[in-house]
Amino acid sequence: MTVSNLAQSLGDLNEEAVIQGVEEALAAGQAPLGVLQELQAGMTIVGERFEAGEYFLSELIYSADIFKTAGAPLQERLKDQVQETHGTLVLGTVKNDIHDFGKDIVATVMTSNGIKVVDLGVNVEHQAFVDAIKEHKPALVGMSCLLTTVFDDMKTAIETIKAAGLRDQVTVLIGGGPVDQATADYVGADIYCRTAQDGVSAAKKILGVS
Amino acid sequence: MVDRTTEELYALREKRIRDAVALKVPDRVPVVPNGPAWPGRAMGVKISEIATNVPVSYRTIIDAYAGLGDIDGIQSPAYHVVTLSIQWLSKVKVPGRDLPDDELWQVDEAELMTAEDYDAILAEGFGPWLARYYAERLPGATEEFEAFAAHIPEALEACRARGIVPFTPAVATVPYEYFCGGRTMKEFMLDLFRKGDKVQAAMDEALPVLIENMRGVIRGLGLMGLWIGGWRTASEFLAPRLWERFVFPYFQKMVEAAIEEGAIPVLHFDANWTRDLERLKEFPKGKVVLSLDGKTDIFKAKEILGDHMCIMGDVPPSLFSLGTPQEVGDYCRRLIREIGPAGFILSSGCDVPITAKYENVKAMVDAVSPVD
Repeated sequence: MTVSNLAQSLGDLNEEAVIQGVEEALAAGQAPLGVLQELQAGMTIVGERFEAGEYFLSELIYSADIFKTAGAPLQERLKDQVQETHGTLVLGTVKNDIHDFGKDIVATVMTSNGIKVVDLGVNVEHQAFVDAIKEHKPALVGMSCLLTTVFDDMKTAIETIKAAGLRDQVTVLIGGGPVDQATADYVGADIYCRTAQDGVSAAKKILGVS
Repeated sequence: MVDRTTEELYALREKRIRDAVALKVPDRVPVVPNGPAWPGRAMGVKISEIATNVPVSYRTIIDAYAGLGDIDGIQSPAYHVVTLSIQWLSKVKVPGRDLPDDELWQVDEAELMTAEDYDAILAEGFGPWLARYYAERLPGATEEFEAFAAHIPEALEACRARGIVPFTPAVATVPYEYFCGGRTMKEFMLDLFRKGDKVQAAMDEALPVLIENMRGVIRGLGLMGLWIGGWRTASEFLAPRLWERFVFPYFQKMVEAAIEEGAIPVLHFDANWTRDLERLKEFPKGKVVLSLDGKTDIFKAKEILGDHMCIMGDVPPSLFSLGTPQEVGDYCRRLIREIGPAGFILSSGCDVPITAKYENVKAMVDAVSPVD
């Protein structure tokens, strides 16, 4: 697959070139949606390099911020259009935990990879996940925590989704500092994501994005 | 069973730990648990008391861990939640004040430190800037910390009086951890890319002050060891070129200074440091401890550093909370067999979590004793 210069610049974390490239593309009359897709292709390069061990969280954060900054004029032009996304993720830090860093990174990286994120924030009530699933019909639910004390809250949140008859409609991804596969088994989640990029890879696979 | 005086028991346990640090085979692998919250839950003491009442915290921590069996030491016998604000330049939600009485404290990450503060550090000097930061943005923190520090000698004495070694009752860390906590992890990482020279200059200004403070604490308390902590400096979060520039040289200087003062630097390294284990060979052999939390591959650490550095850890929090005593015991015996018996100290990976089952924490302590 050929990669455009703009996508390559983002993949290489060349911030100036990305911002300039977007400005030039718009000035030359390119469709904003096409330019946005080039930026998303750049984020795919970042994701591949992360998975190959060339990039780390630092690069995920920087690339997502370049994406946001350079993409701002595109978002402005696209705000009245319904944007195609690969799918939707309802995301939140579970009840009794106020830590938002991991969740925020996941939201940023997922968004820049073309996945719509409904961010419920921190200390999310169990029922709020259910309400959001009913409203937004996501394929994915992401839950985060930094405290072992809220493993039971995570478990209850998933049970609440099940009790509402919605469990089969969503894939539940979990992550966070003390979380591991044993936690995923305990709380009844589908996939444990060690990193934000793990989450993106899992989400893309589930959503059938190549 | 030989009856020993408290002094003899203390000497035996101290030797056990020192032998492990020096990469010798001790008479038995030492076990040195860590963490203030679980003792509160185990002893029925409110978490708000553990968080803010130092005499209650040290009595509870010592009683809870001593009650488990033949422990050799406690990493830190005294606690006050303000220490988190002091080292991470962050607000903390405190039980009994911002949270219900018996809930665990939580760091309330917000951008308290601004990008302009790097200039302020360079203009004012790190020491004066830090004093002003605490006074203006974390009011009361300095006073609370001083009150906490005043109790530490009695906490150490209470621990020693039980024949238990207070191994690492103080924490030092590198400028990265301070700034990252104050700026938030996201903003700070962006600073590394966009204003790296300024960040580095501020770090270079801060480091000598932090080292002098650390030297003062080691001397003042006569410390055997102390934590030199790494949380957000972990390899897994940072590209190698950033880690080599903003992290490792600062740890090197702190470790060298702690050793010069005669203390054992315990690299309390949370999260995953596997990528850079090889670099830790640059620290002096047999004088430093690498303490892992279950996220770094401890078996890889043994392979790379086993003949160079004592390793401590690393029963994972989820195993304490969700596992069975058999599973905890099996894991600990595997650690003793494969990481030990030379140069190994058995401990929890970071803190014993508040949700740990009592029988699981006891299973860790029991694992060091030979079965009759």
